[in-house]
Amino acid sequence: MPGITLKNVKKSYGAYEAIHHLDLEVADGEFLCLLGPSGCGKTTTLRMIAGLENLSSGELAVGERVVDCPETASFIAPEKRGMGLVFQSYALWPHLTIEQNVEFGLKLRKVAKVERQKCTTDVMQSLGIEQYRARYPSQLSGGQQQRVALARMLAVNPDVLLLDEPLSNLDARLRLEMRAELKRIHDKFSTTIVFVTHDQWEAMTLADTIAVMNEGTLQQLGTPDDIYERPANRFVAEFVGSPPINILEFGGTGELVQEAMRFLAKQHPEIFDIGSVGIRPEAISLVSGKEALATGDFGAPACVAAILPTGGSWIIELETGGTTIFMNTHVAPSVREGDRMWFRVEAHALNVFDTQGDRIRAADDAFSVAAA
Amino acid sequence: MSKASDISGQTGGSGRITRLRYRTRIAMREPTTLIGLFMAALFTYLIVVPIISILLDAVQTQFGDARRTDTEVGEWTSYYLNRTFFSPIARDMFWEPLRNTLSVALGAIAVSLFVGGILAWLISRTDMFARRWFATALIVPYMLPAWTFALAWTTLFKNRTVGGQQGWFEAMGFTPPDWLAYGQVPITIILALHYTPFIILLFGSALRRFDSQLEDSAQMLGASRSRIAWSIILPLMKPALISAIVLIFAKCLGEFGVAYVLGLPVKFDVLATSLYRNLGSRQTGVAGVLAASIMILGIMTLLIDAYLVREARKFVTVGSKGSMNRLTQLRKLRLPAAGFAALIFSISVGLPVLTLALSTVMHVPARFTWENFTLDYWLGTGLDTVALQQGILLTPELWSAAWNTLWIVGSASVVSGLLGLLVGYAVVRTPLRPLATFLRQVTFFPYLVPGIAFAAAYLSLFAVQRGPVPALYGTMAILILALIADQMPYASRAGISAMMQLGKEPEEAAQVAGSGWFHRMTRIVVPIQKGSLVTGVLLPFISGIKGLSLFVVLAVPSTDVLTTYSLRLVDYNYTQAANAVVLIIAALAYFGTVAAQKLTKTNLAEGLGG
Repeated sequence: MPGITLKNVKKSYGAYEAIHHLDLEVADGEFLCLLGPSGCGKTTTLRMIAGLENLSSGELAVGERVVDCPETASFIAPEKRGMGLVFQSYALWPHLTIEQNVEFGLKLRKVAKVERQKCTTDVMQSLGIEQYRARYPSQLSGGQQQRVALARMLAVNPDVLLLDEPLSNLDARLRLEMRAELKRIHDKFSTTIVFVTHDQWEAMTLADTIAVMNEGTLQQLGTPDDIYERPANRFVAEFVGSPPINILEFGGTGELVQEAMRFLAKQHPEIFDIGSVGIRPEAISLVSGKEALATGDFGAPACVAAILPTGGSWIIELETGGTTIFMNTHVAPSVREGDRMWFRVEAHALNVFDTQGDRIRAADDAFSVAAA
Repeated sequence: MSKASDISGQTGGSGRITRLRYRTRIAMREPTTLIGLFMAALFTYLIVVPIISILLDAVQTQFGDARRTDTEVGEWTSYYLNRTFFSPIARDMFWEPLRNTLSVALGAIAVSLFVGGILAWLISRTDMFARRWFATALIVPYMLPAWTFALAWTTLFKNRTVGGQQGWFEAMGFTPPDWLAYGQVPITIILALHYTPFIILLFGSALRRFDSQLEDSAQMLGASRSRIAWSIILPLMKPALISAIVLIFAKCLGEFGVAYVLGLPVKFDVLATSLYRNLGSRQTGVAGVLAASIMILGIMTLLIDAYLVREARKFVTVGSKGSMNRLTQLRKLRLPAAGFAALIFSISVGLPVLTLALSTVMHVPARFTWENFTLDYWLGTGLDTVALQQGILLTPELWSAAWNTLWIVGSASVVSGLLGLLVGYAVVRTPLRPLATFLRQVTFFPYLVPGIAFAAAYLSLFAVQRGPVPALYGTMAILILALIADQMPYASRAGISAMMQLGKEPEEAAQVAGSGWFHRMTRIVVPIQKGSLVTGVLLPFISGIKGLSLFVVLAVPSTDVLTTYSLRLVDYNYTQAANAVVLIIAALAYFGTVAAQKLTKTNLAEGLGG
């Protein structure tokens, strides 16, 4: 199974530059998620890999083979790349039955009839759509259509499988099932998969590696844990996570910010040029008072403004010195709206960003030394 | 920096060439652009060149006019412009016909607005009796050729101003005055009845989509019913009304048949008949000026329409989610309302068709005695006439005209349907946007040019040999070509919207699966578009069968189609035979439309304007 390499890739439509400068490497057999808000260039990237869009400059290679490079005038047509692509809309051919849809690629590859039928039946069985083989796409539900779209690509067993938000039209339960299905397929065939989504949970649950994109540039490439716990910049920190991360802008006049500035200046004078601090909602816990704070912890007094149950967990809105922050807990809260409490954050759970919005890595080191 | 930028650095000057090679490779990888370029060239020749040719005719000295214009043949001259607009005969040739055209068109619009507006409201917003049946029945006049009604009218009202068989009223002892028998009044009434379905369809569908909640909100705020109608409903209906009015106006501009049948006896000319007269008397230059005038009027009208509709649509939110359509209870007026609809139906369909049908089976008009009825005019032999001594069904000319119709209209429709799909494909898929824009506009252009002016343009270009293209006048080829070009607006619209609806993805899915361009076209695109292709062929076919103005200029006796054949019979005063042929055409058009709707499950409103 080949990997995919994008080197210094740019894509523009007229004056509008959709992809600014993209270097990305997808390892052989890897499950990579392209994650980002709509319009960030993730679908464009996927379509360039498929060959449905051409590059404006740069180089795109699959394995050893350069498939698109304007500088050397090389371009390999999508039909010759041997990839599989599943569209958000599924794009099933309405005039063909399910079986004909699935065997389309095999027929094109001139696979002998007996083998073709076996292969088609196998893949339809493994996705549980065998009983619909004689039906037309319009007679199937969304989830079933989605499986057909997948089966159609899997039947030819492509080296690279590209998925463009394939689960976004499904209901929550089906989406969960299909995620498991996709993971199973990936384990079974060890296909290289590039998966485009704007749903962070989907990316978190599926991917080996996540590439977060915004406005045509790669923001961070890392494991799901990396992305969540050590976001490379403010954008990643704020895009990933729900309820969203609490950001304290340094230089602000709020009491809490002042508190945070005092804390960092006192405990970690070696960290400088701080622009803001981010605190994940689940890194916050309520304590009875100042005395319950450990020396290395950051904390402040707060008033419980609202408690929002979300089924199995609770979001608590805290009012502290003119700032509203959210915390998230899986333990039924014993406090009530209007209670005055203290909250605490362990120092190593602080995400420190510089004035440009980039993560200060030195801060992570400092915290871990302090914790040790 | 990465390897990619190194490469471009090394190649330096040749970098641009590489880039160009890359772009060409991408563009030519698929034949889409090539097809688009071919289409663009084809339609430039079939649409733009004839129009330029007739425009040049208007300002260049024509063959035989050298002495009059004092210039050599082919040189610039303002002679024809002067002659058409300022000479002593300008009044008869241009200004009177213009006035007549405008007054007939405006009269027809006023009447059809009044009648159609009421009917549209009754059908779509009230609980009138049999309103579903009326919704279909009242559209029928549009399926029949307009001059069917003109012939029915003359059959009833004809007086001694022209010869031939008597009109029914005359035969019964009442002589209709000229103003009732011919000219402005009957033409206006007939056009109004013929185009009333436009109002019913366009205005009716806007009314149906109108959200009752908008009315409710106004009512909650204390507005009276008339206040609601005036300041809520009417402004929101404006775009639909404007479209319908403009469409009727544009159609009236090019209307030939009705004016020809009913205007000729009292020298009531409209622009279309004046153009026809000038073509007939070989006044090519003046015909060019007249054709250009008709075109400019048509283009201006549709530009105004585009502007007004854009202005009016800015605030339209009709058809939002949760839209409701509540019917008005007519109560005591239910029966009178249905009676009104039935009256209009019988005037606009029942009476004319019945008159025509009866006239073909009667020896002497309006004598309803048993021995006066006969099938001789359909099936008889040895009739007591100068020529045409057998029933129409036994006349070989009818069958050759029918065969010509089928062959000419059929092949033109099939070709334009296919070309329409290809144009749609090229427009939607080509990465070359200017090409797409050009194709879209050039194929739409004939819509702005009334058929008779377009036919004149074809005559101007193809009457003589030009380069490798032989003189086509008198051949079927010129009819087929003109018909294709004339049908392109509908065919290309249908093709473009079908391709838009299909979207790129089914095709891209096939492409990624390994399917090449040709394979994709034959296995994915065309099979999926089968339905719209059938519609794209059938609708032009039906409108082609009943079309007259294009053929009347370009057809000669050997290439007669049913419409021109019946007009010839009218000219020779074979009333029964002419009416019989018109009935055949009307039946073909009606049953063809019904069959097409059944077959493709399309709505009439979509085929509107065809």
